[in-house]
Amino acid sequence: MKFNTDEIASVLREEIDQFETGIDVREVGRVLEVGDGIARVWGLSGVMAGEMVEFPGGITGLAFNLEENSVGVIILGDYLKVTEGDEVRSTGRLLSVPVGDAVIGRVLDPLGNPLDGKGPVVTDLRRPVEALAPGIAERQPVREPLQTGIKAVDAMTPIGRGQRELIIGDRKTGKTAIGIDAIINQKNSGVKCFYVAVGQKDSSVAVVIDTLRKYGAMDYTTVIVSGASTAAPLQYIAPYSGTAMAEHFMYNGQHALIVYDDLSKQATAYRQLSLLMRRPPGREAYPGDVFYAHSRLLERSAKLSKELGGGSLTSLPIIETLEGEVSAYIPTNVISITDGQIYLQPDLFFAGQRPAMNVGISVSRVGGAAQTKAMKKVAGGLRLDLASFRELEAFAQLGTDLDAATQQRLDRGYRMVELLKQGQYQPLDVVDQVLSIYAGTRGFLDDVKRDEVADWEKSFLTFVRDQVPELRARIEQTKELDGESERQLEAAIADFKRQRAAGESHGNRELAGAAR
Amino acid sequence: MTKPLSSNAAEPAAGDVTVDIGAERIARVYAQAIIEAADRKGCRGQVLGELAGIVRKVLPAVPRARDVFASPRIGTDEKARMIDAITKGRTLPTTAHALHVLARHGRLGLLAEVVTSAERLAAELEGRKQATFTTAVPLAAAEQARIVTEVEQAVSATLAPTFAVDPDIIGGLVVRIGDTVYDQSVATALVRLGERLKKRSIHEIQYGRDRLSPA
Repeated sequence: MKFNTDEIASVLREEIDQFETGIDVREVGRVLEVGDGIARVWGLSGVMAGEMVEFPGGITGLAFNLEENSVGVIILGDYLKVTEGDEVRSTGRLLSVPVGDAVIGRVLDPLGNPLDGKGPVVTDLRRPVEALAPGIAERQPVREPLQTGIKAVDAMTPIGRGQRELIIGDRKTGKTAIGIDAIINQKNSGVKCFYVAVGQKDSSVAVVIDTLRKYGAMDYTTVIVSGASTAAPLQYIAPYSGTAMAEHFMYNGQHALIVYDDLSKQATAYRQLSLLMRRPPGREAYPGDVFYAHSRLLERSAKLSKELGGGSLTSLPIIETLEGEVSAYIPTNVISITDGQIYLQPDLFFAGQRPAMNVGISVSRVGGAAQTKAMKKVAGGLRLDLASFRELEAFAQLGTDLDAATQQRLDRGYRMVELLKQGQYQPLDVVDQVLSIYAGTRGFLDDVKRDEVADWEKSFLTFVRDQVPELRARIEQTKELDGESERQLEAAIADFKRQRAAGESHGNRELAGAAR
Repeated sequence: MTKPLSSNAAEPAAGDVTVDIGAERIARVYAQAIIEAADRKGCRGQVLGELAGIVRKVLPAVPRARDVFASPRIGTDEKARMIDAITKGRTLPTTAHALHVLARHGRLGLLAEVVTSAERLAAELEGRKQATFTTAVPLAAAEQARIVTEVEQAVSATLAPTFAVDPDIIGGLVVRIGDTVYDQSVATALVRLGERLKKRSIHEIQYGRDRLSPA
């Protein structure tokens, strides 16, 4: 492949021919002090709040604090190159990022500059980083499901398109894993995905990108990275710029999913900026408007009305708690903003229950309307059953003799817990989820040993796929579990059990033969 | 990009940058008070002239005077006596009063800032704007006058011009009025051209790649 250099040369010649010395009018100020990603600027008397300013060398900044006789600017870029006395010019523009199909599959910084070495992002489409959320008239209730492919989530805290579902938990409890699984599961759903890494270790982000690539998810995903080594201003704006990119698809009638990993780090970055700007500290030294910082971000996730194309933006913000402390400032704020939360607990995680979701306090406030009828039918009482099982289990540990009914409920519970365990990067199709949860909740697993549940489920799903494809097709099509399907399903389970028993006794005989 | 933007930093500070924002803010309050007091007596120009004279001529001639003025260890009475000695019979009473007020509030050390601030305020009130004209070569007086008149017409304001020479701008003229810079220098034009060329080249290369790539 060879570029036509003549062509390029002619373009350049044209430019030079048209070269004329127009007057360059700019409003300027001068840097008084600079440090830690912020600059105090003298002058710039006409600059507007949130306006983009330019430092020498093409470094951009945002007018953050307008004071009586100086302007506080946050520097988006290498602040070490800005020195005292530098001229700052206002641009009259708001900060914007490239959007559209050109950003899909890319790894970008919060300003939209490529980080993946795949060349510039070629597009004329841009959107302002800070945008108003759609108003009430422009929305409609959440009703389409967004399948995460995780049984526990899709059955008990279903997420709808346009919903904000918080993922909250201590460090190392699998928060990111849920987000990544949800992204991987969007493979054939046409949902565009955005993963915003804020204040994460660059090594973990590299692993995430690698995973997404491995599972073919980078074809429809954009990763926005401002790692732990990035200056606080960039960490602060990263979620907003990710949202701007995702919004583009929402306003064009498509569906998008955005994962903010994580908003506690963004709040920390914002606190740093605010304190450096000498804004008064409030609770936990966060500035008074940290709630607004998160609410205006998450309000931008919406399900748009039909007139606007019916697009949606679903967000999965992640919050890291310390020692399970959900009543700290930032967690309570974000819990109150979002439409539900998935609460992950370390003790469940270490007990081998992964995803380590605490069913009792995880909720989805609007997602129920978005569940398919089939899923609603099979998973209806699951959440309450599991919660009551947890209570019973604690009671049973006292070692008291239990009556048969209680023992039976305990056994069912143990099997459901086993059934809801799911490996990472193994999203399940919603029909498969319906099939296995049906088997669990209707007691077909009661006679299966606890450590064989996973294996039973796996071979059962293969069995249905191979031997009763019409059942799968029927549920997939109607998205319902009507009487007929239910009969077929029960028959299939009975069939499968027979085959399995035969296979087992066969296997046992073989084993016995081998021993002899 | 760096060159034309930073060229302003090489300019003499010309009293238009006060590094200490806090001091500047305090100075402005006193400046406003002094101007209003002088206006009531109808002697704004004279009072400002006298204060400027003290700051720019008297104080530099007596290097330690500034320290004495600024020092909190020297009592108010002492300072008042010194002010009386300086001003007696030489200045208007308003000027002397202004100095006394500054001394009594322990702000005599900010005298220079107060004067700069007052001059700026006065210029604002009179509708005059501070303007800096930067050229690559020194201008003849006639040229200077012509340029100032033309710019005054263009921005429809009276200007208080200062002239600076900066060979780095190569050619053309850079006018700074307040915080706004009208830049017609060759250096900036070259930078803009460079940016445009770079952008076009990248665009052409990318476009060419899209066209040539097999998919």
